[in-house]
Amino acid sequence: MFRRGLVIIAVAVALPLPMAFAEELPPEILAIKGDVAWGEYLSGECVTCHSAQGAEGGIPRIAGRDTEDIVVAMHAYKQNRRVHPIMQMLAGRLSAEEIAALAAYFNTLD
Amino acid sequence: MALNRRSFLGASAAATGALSAPYVLAEGSGKPRVLVIGGGAGGATAARYIAKDSDGAIDVTLVEPSRTYFSCFFSNLYLGGLKTIDDIGHTYGTLAANHGINVVHDWAVGVDGAAKTVTLAGGAVLPYDKLILAPGIDFVEGSVPGWDVSAQNKMPHAYKAGSQSELLKAQIAAMPEGGTYAMVAPPNPYRCPPGPYERVSMVAHVLKASNPTAKILIADPKPKFSKMALFEEGWTNHYPGMIDWIGEDFGGGVVSVDPDRMVLTIDGEETKVDACNVIPAMKAGRIAELAGVSEGNWAPVNAADMSSKADPDIYVLGDASQQGDMPKSGFSANSQAKVCANAVRGALTGSRVFPAKFANTCWSLIAENDGVKVGATYEPTEEKIARVDGFISQTGETIDIRKATFEESESWYDAITADMFS
Repeated sequence: MFRRGLVIIAVAVALPLPMAFAEELPPEILAIKGDVAWGEYLSGECVTCHSAQGAEGGIPRIAGRDTEDIVVAMHAYKQNRRVHPIMQMLAGRLSAEEIAALAAYFNTLD
Repeated sequence: MALNRRSFLGASAAATGALSAPYVLAEGSGKPRVLVIGGGAGGATAARYIAKDSDGAIDVTLVEPSRTYFSCFFSNLYLGGLKTIDDIGHTYGTLAANHGINVVHDWAVGVDGAAKTVTLAGGAVLPYDKLILAPGIDFVEGSVPGWDVSAQNKMPHAYKAGSQSELLKAQIAAMPEGGTYAMVAPPNPYRCPPGPYERVSMVAHVLKASNPTAKILIADPKPKFSKMALFEEGWTNHYPGMIDWIGEDFGGGVVSVDPDRMVLTIDGEETKVDACNVIPAMKAGRIAELAGVSEGNWAPVNAADMSSKADPDIYVLGDASQQGDMPKSGFSANSQAKVCANAVRGALTGSRVFPAKFANTCWSLIAENDGVKVGATYEPTEEKIARVDGFISQTGETIDIRKATFEESESWYDAITADMFS
Protein backbone atom coordinates (compact mmCIF):
# COMPACT_ATOMS: atom_id res chain seq x y z
CA MET A 1 0.00 0.00 0.00
CA PHE A 2 2.73 2.38 1.07
CA ARG A 3 4.82 1.26 -1.86
CA ARG A 4 2.01 1.88 -4.31
CA GLY A 5 1.46 5.34 -2.87
CA LEU A 6 5.12 6.19 -3.47
CA VAL A 7 4.98 4.97 -7.04
CA ILE A 8 1.90 7.08 -7.75
CA ILE A 9 3.56 10.18 -6.35
CA ALA A 10 6.66 9.53 -8.41
CA VAL A 11 4.61 9.17 -11.57
CA ALA A 12 2.68 12.34 -10.82
CA VAL A 13 5.89 14.31 -10.37
CA ALA A 14 7.51 12.86 -13.45
CA LEU A 15 4.54 13.61 -15.68
CA PRO A 16 5.28 16.86 -17.40
CA LEU A 17 1.66 17.87 -17.67
CA PRO A 18 -1.54 17.48 -15.62
CA MET A 19 -3.80 15.16 -17.57
CA ALA A 20 -6.62 17.61 -17.06
CA PHE A 21 -4.84 20.29 -19.06
CA ALA A 22 -6.03 18.91 -22.39
CA GLU A 23 -9.61 19.21 -21.15
CA GLU A 24 -9.01 22.79 -20.01
CA LEU A 25 -8.13 23.88 -23.52
CA PRO A 26 -11.16 25.48 -25.21
CA PRO A 27 -12.53 23.13 -27.91
CA GLU A 28 -12.24 25.90 -30.51
CA ILE A 29 -8.46 25.87 -30.04
CA LEU A 30 -8.29 22.14 -30.64
CA ALA A 31 -10.58 22.57 -33.64
CA ILE A 32 -8.32 25.00 -35.53
CA LYS A 33 -7.27 23.44 -38.82
CA GLY A 34 -3.56 24.05 -39.22
CA ASP A 35 -2.04 25.59 -42.36
CA VAL A 36 0.60 22.98 -43.28
CA ALA A 37 2.72 25.31 -45.46
CA TRP A 38 2.88 27.93 -42.73
CA GLY A 39 3.73 25.17 -40.26
CA GLU A 40 6.57 24.00 -42.48
CA TYR A 41 8.04 27.51 -42.45
CA LEU A 42 7.59 27.86 -38.69
CA SER A 43 9.14 24.43 -38.13
CA GLY A 44 12.49 25.93 -39.13
CA GLU A 45 12.67 27.21 -35.58
CA CYS A 46 12.02 23.73 -34.13
CA VAL A 47 14.39 21.65 -36.23
CA THR A 48 17.47 23.59 -35.15
CA CYS A 49 17.19 21.52 -31.96
CA HIS A 50 14.67 18.72 -32.62
CA SER A 51 16.32 16.34 -35.08
CA ALA A 52 14.36 13.94 -37.27
CA GLN A 53 15.56 11.06 -35.09
CA GLY A 54 15.31 12.67 -31.66
CA ALA A 55 17.82 11.85 -28.95
CA GLU A 56 17.70 9.55 -25.99
CA GLY A 57 18.03 11.62 -22.83
CA GLY A 58 18.24 14.80 -24.89
CA ILE A 59 15.80 16.74 -27.06
CA PRO A 60 12.90 14.53 -28.20
CA ARG A 61 11.58 13.88 -31.70
CA ILE A 62 8.49 15.82 -32.80
CA ALA A 63 8.13 14.52 -36.36
CA GLY A 64 5.13 12.23 -36.74
CA ARG A 65 3.60 13.10 -33.36
CA ASP A 66 -0.16 13.24 -33.05
CA THR A 67 -1.51 16.69 -33.92
CA GLU A 68 -3.52 17.12 -30.73
CA ASP A 69 -0.58 16.05 -28.53
CA ILE A 70 1.56 18.79 -30.05
CA VAL A 71 -1.17 21.40 -29.70
CA VAL A 72 -1.78 20.48 -26.05
CA ALA A 73 1.95 20.44 -25.23
CA MET A 74 2.61 23.79 -26.88
CA HIS A 75 -0.31 25.49 -25.14
CA ALA A 76 0.91 24.05 -21.85
CA TYR A 77 4.30 25.70 -22.44
CA LYS A 78 2.63 28.89 -23.62
CA GLN A 79 0.64 29.09 -20.38
CA ASN A 80 3.69 28.13 -18.26
CA ARG A 81 1.91 24.97 -17.13
CA ARG A 82 4.76 22.89 -18.47
CA VAL A 83 8.26 23.96 -17.51
CA HIS A 84 11.19 24.39 -19.87
CA PRO A 85 12.76 27.84 -20.34
CA ILE A 86 13.37 27.55 -24.08
CA MET A 87 10.02 25.96 -24.88
CA GLN A 88 8.11 28.43 -22.70
CA MET A 89 9.87 31.30 -24.46
CA LEU A 90 9.24 29.95 -27.99
CA ALA A 91 5.64 28.84 -27.39
CA GLY A 92 4.92 32.10 -25.60
CA ARG A 93 5.07 34.09 -28.82
CA LEU A 94 3.17 31.63 -31.02
CA SER A 95 -0.51 32.30 -31.73
CA ALA A 96 -3.07 29.48 -31.55
CA GLU A 97 -3.10 29.48 -35.37
CA GLU A 98 0.67 29.13 -35.51
CA ILE A 99 0.61 26.26 -33.02
CA ALA A 100 -2.09 24.53 -35.07
CA ALA A 101 -0.01 25.05 -38.23
CA LEU A 102 3.09 23.54 -36.62
CA ALA A 103 1.17 20.56 -35.28
CA ALA A 104 -0.45 19.94 -38.65
CA TYR A 105 2.94 20.05 -40.39
CA PHE A 106 4.77 17.76 -37.97
CA ASN A 107 1.91 15.29 -38.18
CA THR A 108 2.52 14.99 -41.94
CA LEU A 109 6.08 13.73 -41.37
CA ASP A 110 6.91 10.06 -40.94
CA MET B 1 43.22 20.78 -94.00
CA ALA B 2 44.04 24.31 -92.85
CA LEU B 3 40.36 25.00 -92.44
CA ASN B 4 39.88 21.81 -90.44
CA ARG B 5 42.83 22.58 -88.28
CA ARG B 6 41.59 26.12 -87.68
CA SER B 7 38.11 24.80 -86.86
CA PHE B 8 39.63 22.35 -84.41
CA LEU B 9 41.74 25.04 -82.76
CA GLY B 10 38.71 27.28 -82.52
CA ALA B 11 36.69 24.61 -80.77
CA SER B 12 39.60 23.81 -78.52
CA ALA B 13 40.06 27.45 -77.55
CA ALA B 14 36.37 27.70 -76.70
CA ALA B 15 36.61 24.58 -74.56
CA THR B 16 39.71 25.87 -72.81
CA GLY B 17 37.92 29.14 -72.27
CA ALA B 18 35.33 27.29 -70.24
CA LEU B 19 38.03 26.24 -67.83
CA SER B 20 39.90 29.50 -67.45
CA ALA B 21 39.05 33.08 -66.58
CA PRO B 22 36.82 34.78 -67.24
CA TYR B 23 33.75 32.79 -68.04
CA VAL B 24 30.15 32.55 -67.02
CA LEU B 25 28.66 29.40 -65.53
CA ALA B 26 25.06 28.24 -65.65
CA GLU B 27 24.21 30.64 -68.45
CA GLY B 28 20.95 29.98 -70.17
CA SER B 29 19.44 27.43 -67.80
CA GLY B 30 16.47 29.79 -67.56
CA LYS B 31 16.05 29.21 -63.84
CA PRO B 32 16.67 31.95 -61.30
CA ARG B 33 20.13 31.70 -59.80
CA VAL B 34 21.06 32.01 -56.15
CA LEU B 35 24.71 32.21 -55.25
CA VAL B 36 25.74 31.63 -51.64
CA ILE B 37 29.21 32.59 -50.46
CA GLY B 38 30.30 30.75 -47.32
CA GLY B 39 29.27 27.27 -46.15
CA GLY B 40 28.82 27.73 -42.42
CA ALA B 41 25.72 27.92 -40.25
CA GLY B 42 24.29 30.80 -42.31
CA GLY B 43 25.35 29.87 -45.84
CA ALA B 44 24.89 26.09 -45.74
CA THR B 45 21.46 26.47 -44.15
CA ALA B 46 20.34 29.09 -46.67
CA ALA B 47 21.57 27.05 -49.63
CA ARG B 48 19.93 23.89 -48.30
CA TYR B 49 16.54 25.48 -47.57
CA ILE B 50 16.35 27.33 -50.90
CA ALA B 51 17.26 24.20 -52.86
CA LYS B 52 15.11 21.83 -50.77
CA ASP B 53 12.00 24.01 -50.67
CA SER B 54 12.13 25.24 -54.28
CA ASP B 55 12.27 21.66 -55.52
CA GLY B 56 14.56 22.36 -58.45
CA ALA B 57 12.97 25.67 -59.48
CA ILE B 58 16.07 27.63 -58.42
CA ASP B 59 19.72 26.95 -59.33
CA VAL B 60 21.70 27.11 -56.10
CA THR B 61 25.49 27.40 -56.06
CA LEU B 62 27.44 27.34 -52.79
CA VAL B 63 31.00 28.70 -52.83
CA GLU B 64 33.11 27.57 -49.89
CA PRO B 65 36.90 27.22 -49.89
CA SER B 66 37.09 24.41 -47.31
CA ARG B 67 36.21 20.86 -48.23
CA THR B 68 35.57 20.05 -44.57
CA TYR B 69 33.73 22.46 -42.29
CA PHE B 70 34.85 22.34 -38.67
CA SER B 71 32.18 23.94 -36.51
CA CYS B 72 33.32 26.68 -34.18
CA PHE B 73 30.50 25.59 -31.89
CA PHE B 74 31.72 22.57 -29.87
CA SER B 75 35.35 23.27 -30.90
CA ASN B 76 35.96 24.18 -27.24
CA LEU B 77 34.72 20.71 -26.29
CA TYR B 78 37.37 19.36 -28.65
CA LEU B 79 39.99 21.41 -26.75
CA GLY B 80 38.55 19.97 -23.52
CA GLY B 81 39.02 16.40 -24.78
CA LEU B 82 35.26 15.75 -24.82
CA LYS B 83 34.93 15.65 -28.63
CA THR B 84 37.29 14.53 -31.39
CA ILE B 85 38.19 16.71 -34.35
CA ASP B 86 36.15 14.33 -36.52
CA ASP B 87 33.11 14.92 -34.31
CA ILE B 88 33.09 18.59 -35.35
CA GLY B 89 33.98 18.04 -39.03
CA HIS B 90 31.31 18.05 -41.76
CA THR B 91 31.45 17.77 -45.55
CA TYR B 92 29.29 19.12 -48.37
CA GLY B 93 28.63 16.02 -50.46
CA THR B 94 25.10 15.49 -49.17
CA LEU B 95 24.05 19.02 -50.12
CA ALA B 96 25.00 18.22 -53.71
CA ALA B 97 23.56 14.70 -53.72
CA ASN B 98 20.28 15.32 -51.88
CA HIS B 99 19.44 18.82 -53.01
CA GLY B 100 21.31 19.38 -56.28
CA ILE B 101 23.34 22.24 -54.87
CA ASN B 102 26.38 23.08 -57.02
CA VAL B 103 29.16 23.13 -54.42
CA VAL B 104 32.27 25.00 -55.60
CA HIS B 105 35.37 24.85 -53.41
CA ASP B 106 37.01 28.18 -54.16
CA TRP B 107 37.38 31.68 -52.73
CA ALA B 108 35.10 34.50 -53.83
CA VAL B 109 37.37 37.47 -54.52
CA GLY B 110 35.12 40.04 -56.14
CA VAL B 111 31.49 41.09 -56.50
CA ASP B 112 30.13 43.25 -59.33
CA GLY B 113 26.76 44.41 -58.04
CA ALA B 114 25.84 46.17 -61.29
CA ALA B 115 26.61 43.16 -63.51
CA LYS B 116 25.40 40.78 -60.74
CA THR B 117 28.43 38.53 -60.94
CA VAL B 118 30.95 37.11 -58.47
CA THR B 119 34.55 36.37 -59.40
CA LEU B 120 36.33 33.41 -57.84
CA ALA B 121 40.05 33.11 -57.11
CA GLY B 122 40.25 30.36 -59.73
CA GLY B 123 39.05 32.83 -62.37
CA ALA B 124 35.41 31.80 -62.83
CA VAL B 125 32.77 34.51 -62.98
CA LEU B 126 29.43 33.35 -61.60
CA PRO B 127 26.21 35.22 -62.38
CA TYR B 128 23.42 35.55 -59.83
CA ASP B 129 19.91 36.88 -59.44
CA LYS B 130 20.26 36.89 -55.66
CA LEU B 131 23.56 36.78 -53.79
CA ILE B 132 23.79 35.60 -50.19
CA LEU B 133 26.98 36.47 -48.32
CA ALA B 134 27.72 34.39 -45.23
CA PRO B 135 31.49 34.76 -44.92
CA GLY B 136 31.78 34.71 -41.14
CA ILE B 137 34.52 36.78 -39.57
CA ASP B 138 37.96 38.10 -40.32
CA PHE B 139 40.30 39.78 -37.84
CA VAL B 140 40.93 43.51 -37.49
CA GLU B 141 44.58 44.13 -38.30
CA GLY B 142 46.59 45.70 -35.51
CA SER B 143 43.94 45.19 -32.83
CA VAL B 144 46.43 43.28 -30.65
CA PRO B 145 49.85 45.02 -31.03
CA GLY B 146 52.55 42.49 -31.90
CA TRP B 147 50.12 39.98 -33.40
CA ASP B 148 49.15 39.38 -37.00
CA VAL B 149 48.16 36.27 -38.92
CA SER B 150 51.82 35.45 -39.57
CA ALA B 151 52.07 34.85 -35.80
CA GLN B 152 49.02 32.56 -35.64
CA ASN B 153 51.09 29.40 -35.35
CA LYS B 154 52.96 30.70 -32.30
CA MET B 155 49.90 32.33 -30.78
CA PRO B 156 46.81 30.67 -32.31
CA HIS B 157 43.42 32.39 -32.45
CA ALA B 158 41.57 29.08 -32.88
CA TYR B 159 38.50 31.20 -33.62
CA LYS B 160 38.04 29.62 -37.01
CA ALA B 161 37.94 25.96 -36.08
CA GLY B 162 40.10 23.26 -37.66
CA SER B 163 43.90 23.28 -37.86
CA GLN B 164 44.06 26.25 -35.49
CA SER B 165 42.08 24.28 -32.90
CA GLU B 166 44.42 21.30 -33.30
CA LEU B 167 47.44 23.55 -32.88
CA LEU B 168 46.13 25.17 -29.70
CA LYS B 169 45.26 21.78 -28.23
CA ALA B 170 48.79 20.54 -28.91
CA GLN B 171 50.27 23.64 -27.28
CA ILE B 172 48.15 23.13 -24.16
CA ALA B 173 49.34 19.52 -23.96
CA ALA B 174 52.99 20.65 -24.30
CA MET B 175 52.84 23.20 -21.47
CA PRO B 176 55.45 22.61 -18.75
CA GLU B 177 54.29 21.64 -15.29
CA GLY B 178 52.91 24.70 -13.52
CA GLY B 179 53.08 26.72 -16.78
CA THR B 180 50.86 29.61 -17.85
CA TYR B 181 48.12 29.58 -20.48
CA ALA B 182 47.11 33.07 -21.52
CA MET B 183 44.13 34.32 -23.50
CA VAL B 184 43.73 37.74 -25.05
CA ALA B 185 39.94 38.08 -25.19
CA PRO B 186 38.26 40.13 -27.94
CA PRO B 187 36.33 43.41 -27.68
CA ASN B 188 32.60 43.51 -28.53
CA PRO B 189 31.04 42.67 -30.88
CA TYR B 190 32.51 39.29 -31.77
CA ARG B 191 31.55 35.74 -32.74
CA CYS B 192 30.05 33.64 -29.93
CA PRO B 193 29.95 35.92 -26.86
CA PRO B 194 30.41 33.11 -24.27
CA GLY B 195 32.99 31.33 -26.48
CA PRO B 196 36.21 32.64 -24.93
CA TYR B 197 34.98 31.81 -21.43
CA GLU B 198 33.77 28.35 -22.34
CA ARG B 199 37.20 27.88 -23.88
CA VAL B 200 38.92 28.88 -20.66
CA SER B 201 36.66 26.41 -18.83
CA MET B 202 37.61 23.59 -21.18
CA VAL B 203 41.32 24.42 -20.99
CA ALA B 204 41.02 24.38 -17.18
CA HIS B 205 39.22 21.04 -17.41
CA VAL B 206 42.19 19.57 -19.30
CA LEU B 207 44.84 21.18 -17.10
CA LYS B 208 43.12 20.15 -13.87
CA ALA B 209 43.75 16.53 -14.86
CA SER B 210 47.08 16.79 -16.66
CA ASN B 211 48.82 19.82 -15.15
CA PRO B 212 46.98 20.86 -11.97
CA THR B 213 49.46 23.56 -10.90
CA ALA B 214 49.17 25.38 -14.24
CA LYS B 215 47.65 28.87 -14.33
CA ILE B 216 45.26 30.55 -16.75
CA LEU B 217 45.49 34.28 -17.35
CA ILE B 218 42.81 36.19 -19.29
CA ALA B 219 43.45 39.74 -20.50
CA ASP B 220 40.06 41.18 -21.38
CA PRO B 221 39.26 44.63 -22.83
CA LYS B 222 35.67 44.33 -21.52
CA PRO B 223 34.39 45.22 -18.02
CA LYS B 224 32.07 42.17 -18.05
CA PHE B 225 31.24 39.23 -20.28
CA SER B 226 28.46 36.85 -21.32
CA LYS B 227 27.19 34.50 -18.58
CA MET B 228 29.81 36.05 -16.26
CA ALA B 229 28.17 35.07 -12.96
CA LEU B 230 27.71 31.49 -14.19
CA PHE B 231 31.31 31.15 -15.36
CA GLU B 232 32.77 32.74 -12.25
CA GLU B 233 30.72 30.44 -10.01
CA GLY B 234 31.81 27.43 -12.07
CA TRP B 235 35.48 28.43 -12.05
CA THR B 236 35.43 28.82 -8.26
CA ASN B 237 33.75 25.44 -7.84
CA HIS B 238 35.66 23.38 -10.40
CA TYR B 239 39.02 25.13 -10.80
CA PRO B 240 39.75 27.06 -7.57
CA GLY B 241 42.81 29.33 -7.81
CA MET B 242 43.60 28.42 -11.41
CA ILE B 243 41.97 31.25 -13.42
CA ASP B 244 42.90 34.93 -13.20
CA TRP B 245 40.61 37.25 -15.20
CA ILE B 246 41.97 40.76 -15.75
CA GLY B 247 39.17 42.97 -17.03
CA GLU B 248 39.12 46.48 -18.41
CA ASP B 249 39.32 48.07 -14.95
CA PHE B 250 42.74 46.48 -14.31
CA GLY B 251 44.29 47.18 -17.70
CA GLY B 252 43.05 44.03 -19.46
CA GLY B 253 42.52 46.06 -22.62
CA VAL B 254 46.03 47.54 -22.68
CA VAL B 255 47.88 44.55 -24.08
CA SER B 256 50.59 43.64 -26.52
CA VAL B 257 52.26 40.36 -27.39
CA ASP B 258 55.70 39.25 -28.51
CA PRO B 259 55.17 35.88 -30.21
CA ASP B 260 58.92 35.19 -30.62
CA ARG B 261 59.61 35.58 -26.89
CA MET B 262 56.20 34.20 -25.85
CA VAL B 263 55.54 37.30 -23.79
CA LEU B 264 52.20 38.92 -23.00
CA THR B 265 52.30 42.49 -21.71
CA ILE B 266 49.28 43.71 -19.74
CA ASP B 267 49.20 47.38 -18.79
CA GLY B 268 53.02 47.57 -19.03
CA GLU B 269 53.71 44.39 -17.05
CA GLU B 270 55.40 41.52 -18.93
CA THR B 271 54.41 37.90 -18.32
CA LYS B 272 56.20 34.92 -19.86
CA VAL B 273 53.57 32.49 -21.10
CA ASP B 274 53.69 28.90 -22.34
CA ALA B 275 50.59 28.91 -24.54
CA CYS B 276 48.91 32.05 -25.76
CA ASN B 277 45.50 32.20 -27.42
CA VAL B 278 45.11 35.60 -29.09
CA ILE B 279 41.53 36.33 -30.16
CA PRO B 280 41.73 39.66 -32.01
CA ALA B 281 38.94 42.15 -32.70
CA MET B 282 36.67 40.96 -35.51
CA LYS B 283 35.00 42.25 -38.64
CA ALA B 284 32.86 40.80 -41.42
CA GLY B 285 34.59 38.35 -43.76
CA ARG B 286 36.41 40.28 -46.47
CA ILE B 287 33.98 39.58 -49.31
CA ALA B 288 31.38 41.79 -47.58
CA GLU B 289 33.75 44.72 -47.92
CA LEU B 290 34.64 43.80 -51.52
CA ALA B 291 30.93 43.66 -52.35
CA GLY B 292 30.53 47.19 -51.04
CA VAL B 293 27.94 46.21 -48.44
CA SER B 294 30.05 46.89 -45.33
CA GLU B 295 29.85 50.00 -43.26
CA GLY B 296 32.75 50.05 -40.83
CA ASN B 297 33.44 46.50 -39.67
CA TRP B 298 30.05 44.91 -40.43
CA ALA B 299 27.36 44.78 -43.13
CA PRO B 300 24.07 46.48 -42.20
CA VAL B 301 20.94 44.53 -43.19
CA ASN B 302 17.17 44.96 -43.20
CA ALA B 303 15.64 42.97 -40.36
CA ALA B 304 12.67 41.59 -42.29
CA ASP B 305 14.69 39.52 -44.77
CA MET B 306 18.44 40.04 -44.11
CA SER B 307 18.86 42.01 -47.37
CA SER B 308 21.76 44.44 -47.43
CA LYS B 309 20.94 48.08 -46.86
CA ALA B 310 23.35 48.87 -49.71
CA ASP B 311 22.05 46.47 -52.40
CA PRO B 312 18.58 44.83 -52.48
CA ASP B 313 19.86 41.77 -54.39
CA ILE B 314 22.56 40.97 -51.82
CA TYR B 315 21.76 39.39 -48.46
CA VAL B 316 24.17 39.06 -45.53
CA LEU B 317 23.79 36.36 -42.88
CA GLY B 318 25.31 35.51 -39.55
CA ASP B 319 28.43 36.95 -37.98
CA ALA B 320 29.15 39.32 -40.89
CA SER B 321 25.79 41.08 -40.66
CA GLN B 322 24.94 44.07 -38.54
CA GLN B 323 21.33 43.30 -37.74
CA GLY B 324 20.58 44.57 -34.25
CA ASP B 325 20.18 42.59 -31.05
CA MET B 326 21.05 39.00 -32.00
CA PRO B 327 24.42 37.71 -30.81
CA LYS B 328 26.86 36.49 -33.45
CA SER B 329 26.37 32.73 -33.17
CA GLY B 330 25.85 29.67 -35.32
CA PHE B 331 22.31 29.40 -33.96
CA SER B 332 21.56 33.02 -34.94
CA ALA B 333 23.01 32.51 -38.42
CA ASN B 334 20.91 29.37 -38.92
CA SER B 335 17.80 31.24 -37.76
CA GLN B 336 18.50 34.22 -40.05
CA ALA B 337 19.21 31.86 -42.98
CA LYS B 338 15.71 30.37 -42.86
CA VAL B 339 14.07 33.81 -42.85
CA CYS B 340 16.29 34.84 -45.77
CA ALA B 341 15.65 31.61 -47.70
CA ASN B 342 11.90 32.11 -47.43
CA ALA B 343 12.19 35.71 -48.66
CA VAL B 344 14.56 34.85 -51.53
CA ARG B 345 12.34 32.02 -52.75
CA GLY B 346 9.35 34.31 -52.59
CA ALA B 347 11.13 36.99 -54.63
CA LEU B 348 12.32 34.55 -57.30
CA THR B 349 9.42 32.11 -57.64
CA GLY B 350 6.43 33.84 -56.06
CA SER B 351 6.21 31.27 -53.24
CA ARG B 352 4.49 32.31 -50.00
CA VAL B 353 6.50 34.61 -47.77
CA PHE B 354 5.82 34.38 -44.04
CA PRO B 355 6.66 36.95 -41.36
CA ALA B 356 10.21 36.73 -40.00
CA LYS B 357 10.77 35.16 -36.59
CA PHE B 358 14.23 34.77 -35.09
CA ALA B 359 15.60 32.89 -32.09
CA ASN B 360 18.93 32.07 -30.51
CA THR B 361 20.22 29.81 -27.76
CA CYS B 362 23.86 29.52 -26.74
CA TRP B 363 24.91 26.58 -24.59
CA SER B 364 28.27 26.60 -22.81
CA LEU B 365 30.05 23.85 -20.94
CA ILE B 366 31.86 24.84 -17.74
CA ALA B 367 33.00 21.34 -16.72
CA GLU B 368 31.97 17.82 -17.69
CA ASN B 369 28.15 17.65 -17.42
CA ASP B 370 27.97 21.23 -16.13
CA GLY B 371 26.15 22.96 -18.96
CA VAL B 372 24.52 26.41 -18.95
CA LYS B 373 22.50 28.27 -21.56
CA VAL B 374 21.22 31.69 -22.54
CA GLY B 375 18.62 32.40 -25.18
CA ALA B 376 16.18 34.89 -26.61
CA THR B 377 13.54 35.45 -29.27
CA TYR B 378 13.66 38.33 -31.72
CA GLU B 379 11.45 40.04 -34.28
CA PRO B 380 12.11 42.51 -37.09
CA THR B 381 11.38 46.20 -36.67
CA GLU B 382 11.97 49.01 -39.17
CA GLU B 383 15.27 49.73 -37.51
CA LYS B 384 16.74 46.34 -36.51
CA ILE B 385 16.21 42.78 -35.29
CA ALA B 386 14.88 43.51 -31.82
CA ARG B 387 14.92 41.27 -28.76
CA VAL B 388 11.48 40.17 -27.52
CA ASP B 389 12.01 37.79 -24.61
CA GLY B 390 14.81 35.74 -23.10
CA PHE B 391 16.14 33.51 -20.35
CA ILE B 392 19.44 32.51 -18.78
CA SER B 393 20.54 29.60 -16.56
CA GLN B 394 20.67 30.43 -12.88
CA THR B 395 23.62 30.22 -10.51
CA GLY B 396 23.26 27.47 -7.93
CA GLU B 397 21.33 25.08 -10.19
CA THR B 398 21.40 21.37 -9.33
CA ILE B 399 23.84 19.02 -11.04
CA ASP B 400 20.85 17.26 -12.59
CA ILE B 401 19.69 20.45 -14.30
CA ARG B 402 23.23 21.17 -15.51
CA LYS B 403 23.62 17.64 -16.86
CA ALA B 404 20.26 17.88 -18.65
CA THR B 405 21.37 21.21 -20.14
CA PHE B 406 24.55 19.62 -21.47
CA GLU B 407 22.61 16.69 -22.94
CA GLU B 408 20.31 19.21 -24.58
CA SER B 409 23.31 20.92 -26.18
CA GLU B 410 24.46 17.60 -27.63
CA SER B 411 21.03 17.02 -29.19
CA TRP B 412 21.09 20.56 -30.54
CA TYR B 413 24.50 19.99 -32.12
CA ASP B 414 23.24 16.92 -33.98
CA ALA B 415 20.09 18.73 -35.08
CA ILE B 416 21.68 21.96 -36.29
CA THR B 417 24.44 20.22 -38.20
CA ALA B 418 21.78 18.01 -39.86
CA ASP B 419 19.82 21.19 -40.62
CA MET B 420 22.92 22.56 -42.37
CA PHE B 421 24.33 19.53 -44.16
CA SER B 422 21.81 16.66 -44.51
